[in-house]
Amino acid sequence: MSEKYLKEYEAGYTPKLVMEEASRCLLCHDAPCSKACPAGTDPAKFIRSVRFKNFKGAAETVRINNILGAICARVCPTERYCQLGCSRSGIDKPIDIGRIQRYVTDYEDCLKMDILEKKASNGKKVAVVGSGPAGLSIAGLLALEGCSVVVFEKDAKAGGYMRYGMPEYRLPSSVVDKEIKRIQKLGVEIRTSTKVEDLKKLQKEYDAVVLAVGHSKGKMLPMFEGHRFVKTAVDFLHDCKKKKGNVKVPDNVLVIGGGDVAMDVVTTLKLLGVKQVTDVVYETFSEFKASKKELMGAQEQGVSIMDGFVPVSLKGKTVRFTHRFVPSEVKVKADLIILAVGQATEAGAFGLEVNKLQEVEKVEGNLFTCGDIYKGGEKTVVYAVRSAKEVAYKVKKYLGGK
Amino acid sequence: MVKKDLSITFLGVKFPNPFCLSSSPVGNDYDMCKKAYDCGWGGIVFKTIGPKSYVINEVSPRFDTLTKEAEPFVGFKNMEQIAEHSLEENLADLARLKKEYPDKVLIASIMGNSEETWEDLARKVTEAGADMIEMNLSCPQMTSHAMGSDVGTNAELCKRYCEAVKRGSKLPMMAKMTPNITDMVPVAKACLEGGADGIAAINTIKSICNIDLDKKIGMPIVNGKSAISGYSGKAVKPVALRFIQQMRTAIPNLEVSGIGGCETWEDAAEFILVGSKTIQVTTAIMQYGYRIVEDLCNGLMHYMEEQHVDHLEQLVGKANKNIIPAEELDRDYIVYPSIDKEKCVGCGRCYISCYDGAHQAMEWDEESRRPSCNHDKCVGCLLCGHVCPVGAISKGEVVFKKTAKPGRKVQDVRL
Ligand SMILES: Cc1cc2nc3c(=O)[nH]c(=O)nc-3n(C[C@H](O)[C@H](O)[C@H](O)COP(=O)(O)OP(=O)(O)OC[C@H]3O[C@@H](n4cnc5c(N)ncnc54)[C@H](O)[C@@H]3O)c2cc1C
Ligand SMILES: Cc1cc2nc3c(=O)[nH]c(=O)nc-3n(C[C@H](O)[C@H](O)[C@H](O)COP(=O)(O)O)c2cc1C
Ligand code: SF4
Ligand code: SF4
Ligand code: SF4
Repeated sequence: MSEKYLKEYEAGYTPKLVMEEASRCLLCHDAPCSKACPAGTDPAKFIRSVRFKNFKGAAETVRINNILGAICARVCPTERYCQLGCSRSGIDKPIDIGRIQRYVTDYEDCLKMDILEKKASNGKKVAVVGSGPAGLSIAGLLALEGCSVVVFEKDAKAGGYMRYGMPEYRLPSSVVDKEIKRIQKLGVEIRTSTKVEDLKKLQKEYDAVVLAVGHSKGKMLPMFEGHRFVKTAVDFLHDCKKKKGNVKVPDNVLVIGGGDVAMDVVTTLKLLGVKQVTDVVYETFSEFKASKKELMGAQEQGVSIMDGFVPVSLKGKTVRFTHRFVPSEVKVKADLIILAVGQATEAGAFGLEVNKLQEVEKVEGNLFTCGDIYKGGEKTVVYAVRSAKEVAYKVKKYLGGK
Repeated sequence: MVKKDLSITFLGVKFPNPFCLSSSPVGNDYDMCKKAYDCGWGGIVFKTIGPKSYVINEVSPRFDTLTKEAEPFVGFKNMEQIAEHSLEENLADLARLKKEYPDKVLIASIMGNSEETWEDLARKVTEAGADMIEMNLSCPQMTSHAMGSDVGTNAELCKRYCEAVKRGSKLPMMAKMTPNITDMVPVAKACLEGGADGIAAINTIKSICNIDLDKKIGMPIVNGKSAISGYSGKAVKPVALRFIQQMRTAIPNLEVSGIGGCETWEDAAEFILVGSKTIQVTTAIMQYGYRIVEDLCNGLMHYMEEQHVDHLEQLVGKANKNIIPAEELDRDYIVYPSIDKEKCVGCGRCYISCYDGAHQAMEWDEESRRPSCNHDKCVGCLLCGHVCPVGAISKGEVVFKKTAKPGRKVQDVRL
């Protein structure tokens, strides 16, 4: 039952295919792709290296610019970022940048390349709270600068949503493991199963503290609260990943939500063999939040999707929805209901002010934020890397100026 | 991140890396050369400077390309002559470049039309501050027969002009060869006798790339007519490597600057392995820009690391002894193709090529759409391996011919 779930959905390129794709690249001047990558991975440069047969150089470009390059290659919503303005679209379709990046980082892995070089120790101690993409990236970047870094993670394994959110078929755990090993190799210590409760204490013990606790809690809608047959998307996905797909699910599941997280849930359910998966979405198709690729993936799997409906009541296991624009009503009965209606941060527990976007409003002294709770960024892995680069610079300046 | 010392000493001059612009419009003036140095090129051969009396008057348009399927172009034909700027402007640019980039190498390319003009140009570029001189004995489209590749095929004339240049300058000097000749060795030897310190090869090959089928005129059409002119780019690399190999075999320890179709670090490594100490590039720059030097340098560093060498010199000429006359090759065995049926996608191209272009040894199973090789007919040419689109055919079993001495072994076979 879990076989399909465990297998990486999209096949990697062969050497011949990566060359063909790189040959489609127009090698643009002032390349739009490189300008659009949030983390500054510089796709135009690494694609050019591939084109000129310098695969090792390509791997260096990716890794030096993006410490989670192999993960971004698989999970970046490229249609919104690097591929959005790709000049090749003027001819046919954009270059598949993510897949080229995947080839390049797989190549790096195959040859066991050791690209990143650490500076000598600067004697500074930094604590990072949370081991999601943001925490891992900033830990790695500060270790490169010579800091001694400890990461605290409440979960049993490091990785945040890369570990327990994104499904196995999109992001194999083995890839996450390798990225984490690379960061540990830089001297970063990761203490798992260690929840941080007293931030002030940490701030006293370390020269700087970076809070990267993400949006770790799934949101609930009041009418669904307290029912055993209702779960949040992130809890469900967490369970699947932890148990390697060996989870019990009934044959009829209702999912509410239309973002990428919802798409992950419905596709996972289908790959696990669930017969009827119904997804009811607040947005209409024209306003859809999920990426086209994810949406198409879900549709390919045979998920029933209804757009434009709002849940109004729950009776037994039956949810009644009404349409936002047309006088229409549907009732869906299901044995399991999964809510994919957003995530929230638990950073408020530290006494910090959290805004509507679930970002921490303000930090002071030796405390910094990074990732999903960092003010002003989008909530993706590549933005986590971007914020880590920005914040690493700030921390470095702060520590240097002390 | 790989870091290797790419510096190399060629004709007594130290280059920060072996990559140079070859003499052409890519190194036409101060601004271009400045950008090239800033991008990382180790040296520049400035656009060929001619005598004051020779007036350059170019045609328009002046380029044509050879394309193949989806490739933008594999070969490039140009009808340019030498520098359009005035002698004074060129000399001023040379002086300024040398002053601002003392650690980079600046080479002046010159072309005279008499012993006096060669000597005079050599003196002038030396005074301007060039590190080295390259004699252009090889431009195939000069409008004067006293200049260019017509000179380059005349060994006696080349020698006299080399002597003239040496009278005008004590700088290290290389003579740039024309490939429009059957054997380059006599001309190269004559140049060395005339005082040349090394050889640069190759300049462009006389060519016609395309003909307009309606108008029945060669391309590019210059007001109703066209002319034969120089061919360069990736397609000429095999010709360049061959000439360099021949010279390196005939003239021991010859110092060579390799030119012709270098695009990637792999091309560059090949030029080095046949004996080039520096590599000059034009067409790839015209097509892709100076930025290609990044992957040339970085790729070459990785290659050095893989080869466990710390100095580029250790690789120079390493292939020379392994390229021998065809009559000396081992003819005692046949290597049969090995077909990977998993990789095979069943296109049947190997079958077609073997039937129509080789020895009808590839058999085709219509049911499974898979080929198999009949060893009774196969001669081991491995044409099939070259046409297979997925690389499913590689070298397989090696069998010795009846005429071979018993106990023979084969070390290294690759298609
Ligand atoms: C299902 C799903 C799919 C997604 N798919 C994609 C995608 O395809 N592409 C993409 O770019 N983005 C995707 N995202 C978004 C992406 O995962 C987040 O933007 C990213 O993980 C944010 O990184 P982070 O490090 O800030 O937080 P997180 O990844 O949430 O990591 C925070 C970590 O902090 C730990 N933590 C929390 N509190 C404490 C504490 N008190 N003490 C110790 N540790 C603590 C948590 O356990 C967690 O490990 C997805 C999100 C979800 C939920
Ligand atoms: C447009 C063009 C102009 C050139 N002009 C000169 C020149 O002025 N002097 C010269 O020695 N060679 C000249 N060349 C030849 C190049 O320097 C070089 O020898 C040749 O193009 C092969 O190298 P490539 O394949 O890297 O272009 C010219 C080539 C081109 C394409
Ligand atoms: S990191 Fe992501 S957004 Fe940036 S180039 Fe790579 S795939 Fe595109
Ligand atoms: S924008 Fe597209 S075509 Fe242009 S360099 Fe980037 S990937 Fe290549
Ligand atoms: S050419 Fe290659 S892929 Fe095609 S049939 Fe022959 S072995 Fe198979």
